[in-house]
Amino acid sequence: MTSPDKIARRKDKLERVAKVFGPGKVIPADRTVEFLELILSPGDRVVHEGDNQKQGDFLAEKLAQVDPKKVNGLKLAVSCIGLPEHLDLFENGIAEVVDFAYAGPQGGRLAELVANGTVKIGAVHTYVELYARYFAELRPDVACLVAIDADAEGNLYTGSNTEETPALVEAAAFGGGIVVVQANKLTDNLRRVDIPGEWVDFVIESPKPFHLEALFTKDPALLDETRILMAMMAMKAIYQKYLPKVLNHGVGFNTAAIELLLPTYGEELGLKGKACTHWALNPHPTMIPAIESGFVEAIACIGGEVGMEDYVASKPDIFPLGRDGSLRSNRFYGQMAGHFADMFVGATLQIDPFANSSTVTADRLAGFGGAPNFGAENRARRHLSEAFLRAGAEAHAGEYMPQGRKLVVQMVETFQGANKPTFVERLEAWDAMKTAGFAVPPVMIYGDDVSHIVTEEGVANLLLCRTMEEREQAVRGVAGFTPVGLKRDHAMVANLRDRGVIQRAEDLGIRKTDVSRDRLAARNIHDLVRWSGGLYNPPSRFRNW
Amino acid sequence: MKLTPRISFYEASARQRVAGLLDADSFREILPPTEQRISPHLGMFDAPVAFDDGVVVGEGTLEGKEVYIFAQEGKFRGGSLGEVHAAKITGLLRRAAIRKPAAVLGLFDSGGVRLEEANAGEIGSTEIMRAILEAQRAGVPVIGLLGGSCGCFGGSGITSSCCDALIASEEARLSVSGPEVIETVMGVEAFDSRDRALVWRTTGGKNRFLFGKVATLVDDHIPAFRMAAVALIKPSEPLSVESLRAERTRLARRIEDYGSCTDARQVWARMGLDADRVPDMTAAELTAVKPA
Repeated sequence: MTSPDKIARRKDKLERVAKVFGPGKVIPADRTVEFLELILSPGDRVVHEGDNQKQGDFLAEKLAQVDPKKVNGLKLAVSCIGLPEHLDLFENGIAEVVDFAYAGPQGGRLAELVANGTVKIGAVHTYVELYARYFAELRPDVACLVAIDADAEGNLYTGSNTEETPALVEAAAFGGGIVVVQANKLTDNLRRVDIPGEWVDFVIESPKPFHLEALFTKDPALLDETRILMAMMAMKAIYQKYLPKVLNHGVGFNTAAIELLLPTYGEELGLKGKACTHWALNPHPTMIPAIESGFVEAIACIGGEVGMEDYVASKPDIFPLGRDGSLRSNRFYGQMAGHFADMFVGATLQIDPFANSSTVTADRLAGFGGAPNFGAENRARRHLSEAFLRAGAEAHAGEYMPQGRKLVVQMVETFQGANKPTFVERLEAWDAMKTAGFAVPPVMIYGDDVSHIVTEEGVANLLLCRTMEEREQAVRGVAGFTPVGLKRDHAMVANLRDRGVIQRAEDLGIRKTDVSRDRLAARNIHDLVRWSGGLYNPPSRFRNW
Repeated sequence: MKLTPRISFYEASARQRVAGLLDADSFREILPPTEQRISPHLGMFDAPVAFDDGVVVGEGTLEGKEVYIFAQEGKFRGGSLGEVHAAKITGLLRRAAIRKPAAVLGLFDSGGVRLEEANAGEIGSTEIMRAILEAQRAGVPVIGLLGGSCGCFGGSGITSSCCDALIASEEARLSVSGPEVIETVMGVEAFDSRDRALVWRTTGGKNRFLFGKVATLVDDHIPAFRMAAVALIKPSEPLSVESLRAERTRLARRIEDYGSCTDARQVWARMGLDADRVPDMTAAELTAVKPA
C-alpha cells in the first residue's frame, strides 16, 4: 500500500514540472538537470537503471550535475554501479546511501569511498533480491529508466536488452513513484510496446544511444588446452552422469569451452537431446554451434547480446521473440528460470577449503550480481527431473526423507595468474567485511551449496562427502599446487579418489594428449559468424578480419 | 550451418606449419634445437632462450621439388628477429644461392627486430634482405607465407616485401610499424589499435591482396597455403631498371587513385567492391571479384 504522503508528494512534483515545462511527457534533453531538480526532493530513493550490460548513462550524467543545495541525501539504488557518475553523486554531496548488486569496473573506487566514509552501503544484494526489495522496503520515489524507442505517450520499446526495465517500472509505477525514461529515439512508430505509456511519466531523448556492454562475447581464440581439458572432464563427470536438461552457464571462458565442445565431444558422449536442451542464458555467441547442431530447444534470455540480434531473430523457436520478431529479454524471469534449473556452472576468484567462494578482494567490492541465485541449492524446488533426482540420491543417501538436489558447479583453474592462487585458506571477503563494516563476510556462493568443483587437476564431487573433513580434503585434492592443495592429506585424498569422490582425467578415460583446440566447434569469432550463416555481427573489437 | 574442419595455419607452431606444407617426412632441419644455438644476448636480461632461437630452417620437397624453408616461431618472443635467428635465415638463403633449389619458402610470423638485441637484430634483418636478393639473382624464387598470430611487422615486414611473391590468409597482417606503435606516435584519433576491425582492414591479408602486395589470398588452412605455394614456384625474375620503373609507376598510380582515402573501406568502394561485404568474403569469393 502506498502512503497518502507519497501520493501527495508525487502530485506536487508533477504540478511543479507542468508549471515549468507545460503539459506532456516529453522533456527536452538540454533541460534535464533543471527537470531533475523539480522531481527530486532531499532524501528521495532513486532507482537508476543500469546492470552489467545496459546503463542509463545520460540520466546518470545529468543526475550528478544537479545542485546539491537543492537535491541531497538521495538514497541510490542501482543493480550495477557501472558508471563513474554513480559515485560522483556521493563525492558531489547529492547521494548518501547506495543499495546495489554488483560494482564491476567501479569496485576499486567504491571500496575506497566506503573506507573513507563518502559512500554508505545500504546492502549488497543479488539481482532478484534487489528487485524484490523494490516492492517491499526499498520502494522508489523516482525511477530513471532506459529504452531504445519511446513515443510522446510514454510507450516504450526496450527490445533485446529489456532486462530489468519491467521489474523497475512495475515497482515505481505501482508504488507512487515517478518514472523517467531516457530513450535513444522519440518516434511515433514503435515496433512494439514493451512498457505501456500509462506507467511512464516522462521521456527524454538522449543525445547518444545508451551504453551497452558486449559482456557475454567470448573469443574462442583465447581458449587454451587447460580450459578444454577442464571442459572435457566436466562434461564426462557431470553432464554425462546427471544429464541436466535445464541449466545456466556463467559468463566466463570455462563454460564457453563447454558450449563449443557440445557439437563435438558432447555428441560423442551422447548428450544431444538428453542434456542441455533448455537454458537460462544470454544469447552467447559461443552457443551458435550447439544451436546449429540441434542441441538446444529453448533459451530464456536474461539480457541480450550486442551483435546477436539478427541471429536471434532467425530462431523464433529457441529465443523469446516479440510479435515484431525481435528479442525480449527479462532479467527477473531469466534469473528465476536459472534459479529453478537443474544445474549452474560458473567460476569465481577465490575458494576456501570448505568450498565457500567469493569475487570480493580486499581492495575491490565487486558485489554478487546473479550468481548466488543461479548458484544456490534451491530448497524451494519441488518439480522433479532426472538430474535433480540423481544428484539428490547422492546428496541425501541414507537419509530418512528422499530429496532432489540442484547441481552447483564451480569451474576454476587453480591459479588466476602468476602467484594468485584461486584456492586460499581464508577468503579476502573476511578483510572486506572489516573495511566495509559488514556483519558477515560477503560470500558469493556458500560451500554447502556447491555440488562439484572442477579444476585442471580433477573433479571433486562434494555430494558424496559425508563429513566436513572429507569435504575439505576433496577440495584440497583438486587444488593443485596452491598452498591449499599442498596441505592435502595424501592418504585421505587417495581414499576419496578410490571412492570416486575425486576423479582425475585418467580416471575419466580422458587422455591429456587428446585434449586439443581441434575439438572446438569454432576456433575464433569468425568461425562463429560462419556457423551463423553470416547473421552474427560481432562488435569491431572482436574482429580480426 | 556446419563448418568444414580446417587445419589452421594461424594456430599451428612453426614446426607444424613446415610439416604440413612440405611433402610428408621430407623435411631435414638445419641447426635443430639439439644443436642449442641460443641467443648470446637474452641471457643478459635474464630472459628465457630457445634452443632454435625462434626459427626453424631446413630443406625438403614440395610435390617432389627440392625447396628450402624457414619458419619463424611466433610463440617465442613474438617471432622476433635476433642475431642467431637472423643468421640462420641468412645462411639458408646463401646456401640457396649456391645450391639452387626450386624455391625458398619463408614463413613469416614476427613482430620485428628483438628489442633486447637492438643493433644485432637490425643488422641481421638487412643481411636477410641482401641474401634474398642474392638468391633471386641466382634465379631462386623466395616466396613469403603470411598468416601467423604475430603478423609480419618491423624488420620482418620489410624483408618479406623483398620476396618474389607473398601468400596470405585474411588473418595475416603485414606492415612496418605495428598498430600500437602508430597509435603511440600519432595518437588514438589517427589509429585506434584496439579497434581490431580497423587494424585488420588496414594491415590484414585481404587489404594487402586487393592492393596487389599479396599474390594469392588463401583461407586459414595449411593445405591451401601448400597449394598456393606449388602454383607460385617459377624461376625468379631478377630486378632490372625497367622492372623498378614499372613498380614506381604502379605506386605513383596508387597514390593518385587512393591517396585521398582515409579508410580501407573507401579504397574498396573506389575499386568497385561492396565494401561492407569484403570482410565476410571467403578467399575464393574475394579473388573472384578482385579488380585486375
